[in-house]
Amino acid sequence: MTVAAEGIAAGLRGAELGQRLEELLGRDKVLWRPEELLLYEYDGAVDTARPDAVVLPSRTEDVAAVARFCSRHGVPIVPRGAGTGLSGGAIPVFGGVVLSFARMARILEIDVPGLRAVVQPGLINLHLSTAVAPYGLYFVPDPSSQKACTLGGNVAENSGGPHTLAYGVTTNHVTGLEVVLSDGTVVRLGGKALEGEGYDLVGAFVGSEGTLGIVTEITVKLTPLPEDKRTIMAAFPTMDQASETVSAIIGAGIVPAAIEMMDALAVEAVEAAVHAGYPLDAGGILLVEVDGVRDGLDEQRDRILEIVRAHGASTLRVARTALEREQLWAGRKGAFAAMGRLAPDYYVQDGVIPRTRLPAILRHVKDVGERYGLRIANVFHAGDGNLHPLVLFDSSDGEAELERVKEAGREILEACVDAGGSLTGEHGVGMEKNCYMTMQFAGSDLAAMRRVKQAWDPLGLANPGKVFPTPGRCKEYDLRRARA
Amino acid sequence: MAETTARPLSLYVAGDAPARELIQRCVHCGFCLPTCPTYAVLGVEADSPRGRIRLMKDVWEGRIAPQNAAFERHVYQCLDCRACETACPSGVEYGKLVEAARSQVERTRPRGAVPRLVRWLAFDQLLPHPRRLALVARLTYLARDLGAAALLRLIGRRIRLAERLAGSLDLVPSGAPSAPQLPLVFPASGERRARVALFQGCIQRAAFGGTNAATARVLARNGIEVIVPEEQTCCGALHVHAGERASGRELAKRNIAAFERLGVDAIVINAAGCGANVKEYGWLLKDDPLWAERAARFAATVKDATEILGDMGLTSTPGRLEASVAYDEPCHLLHGQKISAQPKALLAQVPGLRIVPLAEADWCCGGAGIYNVTQPDLSQRLLHRKMEHVRAAAPDILVTANPGCLMQLASGVRASGMRTEVLHLIDVLDRAYAAAS
Amino acid sequence: MSAVAAALRPSDATACAAALADATRERRAVRVRGAGTKSYLGELLPTDLVLETGALSGVVDHVPADLTITVGAGTALAEVRRALGAHGQVLPLDPPHGDAATIGGVVAANSNGFGRLRYGGVRDLLIGTVVALADGTVARGGGRVVKNVAGYDLNKLLIGSLGTLGVLSEATFKVLPRPEAHALAVVRCRGAGPAFAIADALLHTAVRPSALVVDATHGRWMVLVGAEGQRPQVERAIAETGRAAGGAGAATERADDAEELLAAARELPATAVDGALIRAALPLAAQRSFAESAMGLEAAVRCVVDAGSGIARVHLRGDEATVLRSADTLLAAAAVVGGSARVERRDASLRARLAAWSGARPGGEFLMRRLKEAFDPAGVLEPGRSVIG
Repeated sequence: MTVAAEGIAAGLRGAELGQRLEELLGRDKVLWRPEELLLYEYDGAVDTARPDAVVLPSRTEDVAAVARFCSRHGVPIVPRGAGTGLSGGAIPVFGGVVLSFARMARILEIDVPGLRAVVQPGLINLHLSTAVAPYGLYFVPDPSSQKACTLGGNVAENSGGPHTLAYGVTTNHVTGLEVVLSDGTVVRLGGKALEGEGYDLVGAFVGSEGTLGIVTEITVKLTPLPEDKRTIMAAFPTMDQASETVSAIIGAGIVPAAIEMMDALAVEAVEAAVHAGYPLDAGGILLVEVDGVRDGLDEQRDRILEIVRAHGASTLRVARTALEREQLWAGRKGAFAAMGRLAPDYYVQDGVIPRTRLPAILRHVKDVGERYGLRIANVFHAGDGNLHPLVLFDSSDGEAELERVKEAGREILEACVDAGGSLTGEHGVGMEKNCYMTMQFAGSDLAAMRRVKQAWDPLGLANPGKVFPTPGRCKEYDLRRARA
Repeated sequence: MAETTARPLSLYVAGDAPARELIQRCVHCGFCLPTCPTYAVLGVEADSPRGRIRLMKDVWEGRIAPQNAAFERHVYQCLDCRACETACPSGVEYGKLVEAARSQVERTRPRGAVPRLVRWLAFDQLLPHPRRLALVARLTYLARDLGAAALLRLIGRRIRLAERLAGSLDLVPSGAPSAPQLPLVFPASGERRARVALFQGCIQRAAFGGTNAATARVLARNGIEVIVPEEQTCCGALHVHAGERASGRELAKRNIAAFERLGVDAIVINAAGCGANVKEYGWLLKDDPLWAERAARFAATVKDATEILGDMGLTSTPGRLEASVAYDEPCHLLHGQKISAQPKALLAQVPGLRIVPLAEADWCCGGAGIYNVTQPDLSQRLLHRKMEHVRAAAPDILVTANPGCLMQLASGVRASGMRTEVLHLIDVLDRAYAAAS
Repeated sequence: MSAVAAALRPSDATACAAALADATRERRAVRVRGAGTKSYLGELLPTDLVLETGALSGVVDHVPADLTITVGAGTALAEVRRALGAHGQVLPLDPPHGDAATIGGVVAANSNGFGRLRYGGVRDLLIGTVVALADGTVARGGGRVVKNVAGYDLNKLLIGSLGTLGVLSEATFKVLPRPEAHALAVVRCRGAGPAFAIADALLHTAVRPSALVVDATHGRWMVLVGAEGQRPQVERAIAETGRAAGGAGAATERADDAEELLAAARELPATAVDGALIRAALPLAAQRSFAESAMGLEAAVRCVVDAGSGIARVHLRGDEATVLRSADTLLAAAAVVGGSARVERRDASLRARLAAWSGARPGGEFLMRRLKEAFDPAGVLEPGRSVIG
């Protein structure tokens, strides 16, 4: 990595890079003026870094041409979908070229009999489900940002969403990829079949955060739409009651399509934003959904209602119409962005814990908030044990405040990992948590991952500075760990 | 909040800077991107709401100046359709931001003599003066009928301005302009449920005066007495959208003065763009101690014609119209005023009308005030996109509720050779009532 | 296979890794052996050392309320089933050789059954691994939580790698509550057309069968449909099967031997010991034409298609030349329709003339070679076992 990092630092940069790319691809596809580059230094999270050029490819050959050029000139390439990511995945840590897929957003094929779709990476997640709905099908992974996030981003981050509890995350729904490697080689992996011979390269690529190559075409599974759903909103006086209810539902042998949880602070923001109808006086609310064939849904709903009541729910609502269901979900799906109602900025964590540790970890989150004097809202996938503590702050308070916020986030993550969990369930490691990888993984684990990296991207130009700890940026954290 | 005391770094000039507290609401989640027509067409972050807000933030932080050509380009390439506001979970009031940003451009970046002259003519000498505007309207109809567009195109090979003018002439509605002098009062039929004042607008009055008359008739027929004060003027929407906030404020004050002493239950507007603007007079004048409160009070009484009819309900049943209709939602009604259910409900109450779904009915048609004149290329691309959907829906009547949309859609329908009629929703109702009697 | 191969039986991952490091240093070819149920896979080149996983066994961790279980790689699937059953839970994997197979073997061979349509396969259920590597280190992939995107998904690389990248010592799976009810329906059809019409119809509904199998021999086409879940869901699935059958001009039967029929279809790789068994992974839309063409071949005696997943197995039997010709046709046909195929099993007498990996080469083969080189530079792990040698 160090050698690669040095090569990267020595590569072609600045306006000359942009001008050379313009000669290569035409003016329409390249941005390099400072005022244009300003707008590609951020994504949905808090970290920023400015690229030296932005390329807007319209076909795979453009991507391959950029990769070839960059590999010859020591330039990092960083893919970007809609820039909704929450771990800095699309941020060019070492500068270089950002490839924005805004103009590669077509559905290339809908194979109804074969239950597959072939799409370009810039396609918006929800647009796929909308397009296949007339055939009674949908694409299962539904990140909360599904109205805006792209399939390419979903593949890079192995995105989840509320409905992954029963049906799996992105990797469970991708069967084929076309990938451009950092040297410009175009390779097709998998296809419409569920598996191929040899290693599962599709499985290795999904979730690799752009560090193994750049995806230019995706083959995904389509799934028959459930016939019906039952959506329940239950409010509880305390978060403890809500989290115990989650375990009780699972313990009763029910695996709902989704179990989502929100605390009072989150409810306050959401209600200000979308008026989802969540009670403002609740300590915690649960959103539970079961779906599938119509038969048996009412029985499942009744069993859930029984459990929910037994755990002291203060308010119960069952959506009676599709509109009411959408309303209940609108609150959850818009929850992160609704934080803008409470504070100018938020820093969201994505730790995962074994579900049974939920009450303890939530108390820990609360404790961290109190100790740091920070407001922390909780909106998360309770069924998966996938937390999303949102630390509220104001970035105009300066760099030191952001550092304090990140410290609070780190404490929460350490508790998650100590509980046998993971740093991230769906947002990715990115440049935000790469220094923390040593919390979860031993040196030999990371060494094994580096071998994978080496095999795909020997030049080290594919989205450098992500996933793996970088010696420079992570030094401070390593020292602190050594002291502790 | 320290928005106008300008931290040392800010490169905005004092007054009317995009409000910092509005910018801070943006958490750059990107939910607005897929709803932005210019982002859909151009695919560039700078032409997305999030990107433009970032540019505005960058000016606050001294990273870019408002006179930077890129700032101007992207801020003006925005349609100000405000679809992003509907999509925004954080409640960013984008329209207010972009209008303020434009005002900064206008004040920090002196324009050349010709554009200044054009702006002065249009914004100060024409729009606020109904009679002059009516005259120009008649002249443009005449010019069109004489085939001026073809002539201009010929000249346009040499002079770009002429080509643009030719494009603008394509927008002129077919038929003759109707700017009838309306009676002062339209008494309510049956029991009087409310008394309202009709806001006539400028373009609406000059080019679609018939719709104003129809609005008064339809309201009166449903127990709503309508008075038509003569002292009113242009609402200033086009000025505010174009960054001419000072002129916009002057017009706002004249209107407030003209209407506030009438003591009516509501002020009714049938042009969505005007309605959205007038409803924001409070914001426009918030820093003027003499006017802030009056403006806010005035704004609170403003209703779109479809809003008041929809909310109060029809007391008179419309007659039968055998036709299929598609409703293309005006941005400044749907996104600017969050009015969508009422117009649809009104159409559904006309016997015989078959409502057909129109894809992307919530997308801007590219009209966007004077956008079709200032940004003809982008406007045309969006219009084509819209026409593809209209062709697929194939309605007999394409319904809208705003003069700008009406001109744009009608020109699109004409250019693509469709036989679809384009009508203001109120004209559809008026026609149905005519059929009843 | 070398007759003098030594055997080692490490009791933990560290010992296993140490043995691999020795083998790497000494360039000794290593085979990994669990229960030995799938030793027919791939080519069998000379072996110096057999690494038995039998001592890497037992349930390491099971928190029923978390719906996860961690077990040693040498643990028999049957034992895992028993451990989970005591808590009313299941690991929804139903691979062939299920009675004897070990977890390590199931993962290494990506050995799936018919439940994949409803519950997912190994790659959907495996959430964590501990693996001993050829350089003597031990690496962990994934973890013990059901959702985890930290770092690369090493689990995916191990699944189906046939021991060529490392030796699995521990695996963590997602598990599920035991379904409340189950049922099986059998539909006998006149040909491939109606059989696949039934499968397609069911695939496009929300019922998600727990098995959807087309089983053909000459003159007999049969659809087996499994249903699991709550009682009303199961009843609905069976009713839906009846509707689909009716639509295809057939009818569901009450077959007392339905369980046996399903088991026989599942165990084809175990029973097809003579001739050759071709296994293809196909796009769903290509299953029918592939199966129909397969059964038109002279040597084809049986074709079992997991119609929910596009996995087709064709048993070829007869004189050597016919079997070879038919095998060649099937391998090519799979590639033509956008799938892939291997010779999964063949009679010892055919081994020399019918290579396991004689189908089309996989996309990204050069990346596979680089990965192999990165994890096993000396090439000591399972030489010849996988498609890249």
